Amino acid sequence: MHPISPIRLLQCLLLLLGLTLGWMSVAGERGPVIPKGKGDRCVADTDFMRRNHMDLIVHQRDETVIRGIRDEPFSLVECVDCHAQRDANNEPIRVDAEGQFCASCHTFVAAKIDCFGCHAAVPDGEDQERADGGHWLPNKQLAAFRPHKAAPLKSSVRSTVSSDHDELSSDASE
Amino acid sequence: MLPNKAQAARRLFLQRLGVFSAATALPALLSSTVDAQSSTKGVSSAQRWGLLIDTSKCASGCDACVRGCHEEHGINSTGNEHTDAQWIRKIDLQNNLSGQKSSLPMMCQHCESAPCVDVCPTGASFKRADGIVLVNKHTCIGCRYCVMACPYKARSFIHEPISDQKSWAPRGQGTVESCTLCVHRIDAEKDQQPACAVACTDEAHSAILFGDLNDPDSDIVKAMANQPASQVRSDLQLNTGVRYVKL
Ligand code: HEC
Ligand code: HEC
Ligand code: HEC
Repeated sequence: MHPISPIRLLQCLLLLLGLTLGWMSVAGERGPVIPKGKGDRCVADTDFMRRNHMDLIVHQRDETVIRGIRDEPFSLVECVDCHAQRDANNEPIRVDAEGQFCASCHTFVAAKIDCFGCHAAVPDGEDQERADGGHWLPNKQLAAFRPHKAAPLKSSVRSTVSSDHDELSSDASE
Repeated sequence: MLPNKAQAARRLFLQRLGVFSAATALPALLSSTVDAQSSTKGVSSAQRWGLLIDTSKCASGCDACVRGCHEEHGINSTGNEHTDAQWIRKIDLQNNLSGQKSSLPMMCQHCESAPCVDVCPTGASFKRADGIVLVNKHTCIGCRYCVMACPYKARSFIHEPISDQKSWAPRGQGTVESCTLCVHRIDAEKDQQPACAVACTDEAHSAILFGDLNDPDSDIVKAMANQPASQVRSDLQLNTGVRYVKL
């Protein structure tokens, strides 16, 4: 039998205290504070948006730029329309400004996006009425957008471009 | 002259080819009559968008099209005039022999065989199915090969950070840009015109006609049937989507 030395005991207590304090400080910081969007729902389930928004908008951008498909639920313009906050003077605040919607989580997880170097980060002029929640993508259609099931974007971009090219140039050679 | 047997075989081959291409062309013809909007279905090669510019209606000294374009896309001077973006510019020409003068707007000619597309290392400089030549700024690395390859000097590189963009016209530092034939307008709504054409009409010149070069009933094709329309640098055989009358 070893009698427990008072020093050892003190060390153990200090360690316990340290761990508790450490845990408390982590638990106290529950995550980013995310400003709320306009209306009562997003363009798809909130859970789904949290996990998949990056794939949705990147998919959308190729659809729009290469295939000319517009006015779809995952347009970046629409994200900004609903998610830009307003300051005390009712002026819109950039969605990528510190603490604002797109920056809130990204700062927390150290993700960095360059989209708003080109894209407007505040809505344009007239505020659109979105009483109906704007576009809504039914859950059963979301499966099509699951990143793992979707075709790799890079290769689909390539093939679209080159096949278009062939199509048009073969017309000319007739 | 080919020997008879070979000639017969060749004729048969051509016949079959004709039947085959008629069969493949039919669905395309049918679908082309449905509508001109791409917003939901995506662009198709049934259309080929283009411009017809009547230089006799274009006034020297008038830059309404340039202002219209730059306003539409939020293009402002950075203060460095020689590096400012320029999607469309006015050119004055003079025939040295006769002294005859003309004026015309010059912009991306939306070539079918676009040199800018050929040289792009990332595929960012591309041609849409409907013939519009664009820069996909998401994949543009700013190398500027396309700027150098373009015989019309129609492309600009953005040297400085940009702010206050229009939501429909994202623009930013480090990428190349040029006339998009106002894709955001013509995709979104039927019978929309590019901003330059609208500005020219508003100025009562109506020198710029926009339309579908594949549609024999379109105003642009009808106008081209009535008068000779030429391509700038036709020697390059690029089959441009922008044509000029009385060049
Ligand atoms: C270098 C400039 C630039 C950058 C950076 C950029 N974009 Fe774009 N983006 C464009 C241009 C130009 C268009 C074409 C607009 C059009 O045709 O109407 C576009 C179109 C889009 C579209 C389709 C139009 C819309 O609003 O829905 C989406 C979506 C999009 N971009 C998403 C993104 C995302 C996400 C990022 C960041 C990861 C990004 N973009 C970064 C220039 C840029
Ligand atoms: C019609 C307005 C509207 C549009 C358009 C919209 N959102 Fe939302 N979004 C909301 C609302 C409201 C919520 C909060 C929903 C909730 O509390 O369940 C939300 C939630 C989210 C969340 C989860 C935030 C959190 O608190 O965890 C993400 C991520 C998101 N949106 C991204 C986007 C993106 C990306 C786009 C563009 C493709 C977009 N949203 C378009 C209204 C919108
Ligand atoms: C609920 C938190 C949350 C919100 C709100 C949010 N994001 Fe994200 N976003 C993330 C996380 C987490 C990642 C990183 C995912 C990863 O690294 O795999 C991410 C990544 C991205 C990426 C991909 C970045 C890359 O480097 O690949 C884009 C693009 C993006 N977000 C756009 C947006 C836009 C635009 C908004 C505002 C409309 C927004 N996000 C709002 C959590 C969020």
